[in-house]
Amino acid sequence: MLRDITLGQYFPGTTVVHRLDPRTKILMVVVYIAALFNAKNWISYAAVLAFLIFAVAVSRIRLSAMLRGLKPVVFIVVLTSLLNLFYARGEPIAHWWIFTITREGIKAAVLMAARLIMLVMGTFMLTYTTSPIMLTYGLELLLNPLKKLKVPVHELAMMMSMALRLIPTLIEETDKIMSAQKARGAEFDTGNLIEKAKAMLPVLVPLFLSSFRRADELATAMEARCYHGGEGRTRLNVLKFARRDYLTFAVGLLLLAAVLVLKRFGL
Amino acid sequence: MEPILKIEKLSHVYSPGTPFETTALRDVDLDIYKGEILGIIGHTGSGKSTLIQHLNALIKPTSGRVLLNGRDINESKQSIREVRGRVGLVFQYPEYQLFEETVRKDIAFGPKNMKLPAEEIERRVLEAARFCGVEEELLERAPFDLSGGQKRRVAIAGVIAMMPEVLVLDEPMAGLDPRGREEIMENILSYHDETGAAIVIVTHSMEEAARHAGRMAVLEHGTVALSGTPEEVFSHGEALRQMGLATPVMTDVADKLCKLGVKLPGTVYTVEQMVDALMALEGGRADAS
Repeated sequence: MLRDITLGQYFPGTTVVHRLDPRTKILMVVVYIAALFNAKNWISYAAVLAFLIFAVAVSRIRLSAMLRGLKPVVFIVVLTSLLNLFYARGEPIAHWWIFTITREGIKAAVLMAARLIMLVMGTFMLTYTTSPIMLTYGLELLLNPLKKLKVPVHELAMMMSMALRLIPTLIEETDKIMSAQKARGAEFDTGNLIEKAKAMLPVLVPLFLSSFRRADELATAMEARCYHGGEGRTRLNVLKFARRDYLTFAVGLLLLAAVLVLKRFGL
Repeated sequence: MEPILKIEKLSHVYSPGTPFETTALRDVDLDIYKGEILGIIGHTGSGKSTLIQHLNALIKPTSGRVLLNGRDINESKQSIREVRGRVGLVFQYPEYQLFEETVRKDIAFGPKNMKLPAEEIERRVLEAARFCGVEEELLERAPFDLSGGQKRRVAIAGVIAMMPEVLVLDEPMAGLDPRGREEIMENILSYHDETGAAIVIVTHSMEEAARHAGRMAVLEHGTVALSGTPEEVFSHGEALRQMGLATPVMTDVADKLCKLGVKLPGTVYTVEQMVDALMALEGGRADAS
């Protein structure tokens, strides 16, 4: 079913990770990625991994959900690891035709795979534990300084939150239209590529029509409620950093500092 | 009599194993007989829509079976294809599924998918258009130019063109004006009367169910809470009201009369029955009318 898509899905919860300020979580992802990409040795990787495992454990996100989210990137992980395996220079341990495997190559491949998987999992922690509304609100606040440069921050955030809001609706709508056409004997999983593409037409036409209708209705509804852009707009729940946010920052920055120190001394 | 569709211990769970897990249906047993009109009634979220999508294998049961003439409809790809042709399903707001350039082509979509010969498709399109009161001159128009009521009837014709033995409609009259509702109901009844197909109507209007259904099933929290003839179902007026379902106005009147000490014979749920019941009182003072 279409609704089983996990990418970017939010798992509601009440753990500390869920309750963190979205700004904290967004910045922590940046810090985490910086630490991950500066990790050059096993100890640094272990530290970053420990941080990730701790976050996952606290958030109570099921491991199965984390792993399911990895599926779409498996191909990229395998490809980059293979490239790293064969391209690294160093002490050869196996040789076949034009391929040479070196000790350094194996290390690079393993670390690259670990880095990519940890990168994806880390960013998943953000979307899994933050509702789309909170996410865009946090982003809007973080980008607010750009308003001075005439960047339409509020409008961008609003567009993003509406797009995020409409994805599940559109998926549901697609499901419904597909069911209706299936009830009229349409088949979407048989035939060659051209036949399959043609079979999508009875779904796409109604889907486009309803998207336009929905956009129109939404715009009218927003105007009816006096929406006129971000100017002078206030929030029901104003975000405030709490102690847990400062604590998280401290741990994150400590991690980054440790990784940078380890890198500097080449341990 | 053997039912044409038999639902056995049907349960359905959405998104099992996630925080969004919900049980939509729990051990539902229901039979649908040839040529009957069955009304399925229930509150929003009672599982009506999930139930009817099981009837033509759009949704697979989590447990339990659906039998068409004694054969499990989910048995094979072949049986699924077969049931789609024999059990026609009209979704809520079916006009949102229209997609073809002309009304004729849109109605022909179903029969075409059944791989029928061209003359047969043409015959069925005309037949379905007639059942649904779609005039011939509309057939060449684009479906998006039609009025709301006309679109609805074209969409229903698109399912009727498959000539299903069981026609299932989810809230077919929702969002139409009284005249449009009347017309749609007449279209459905004419298909029923002429072909002897079984009709299953999902509704939350008690009046409509009371007027046309020979049998009713009331769904509540994914189980069949009440079923039987309208008389039987409406005799549980209090239970229905507790489920948040309104009883027909005439039943309410009869209940109020009862509280005032006027006992009417039997269960009353239509105006005609009310007239008869009142006439029967006072030793049949027919001249009172």
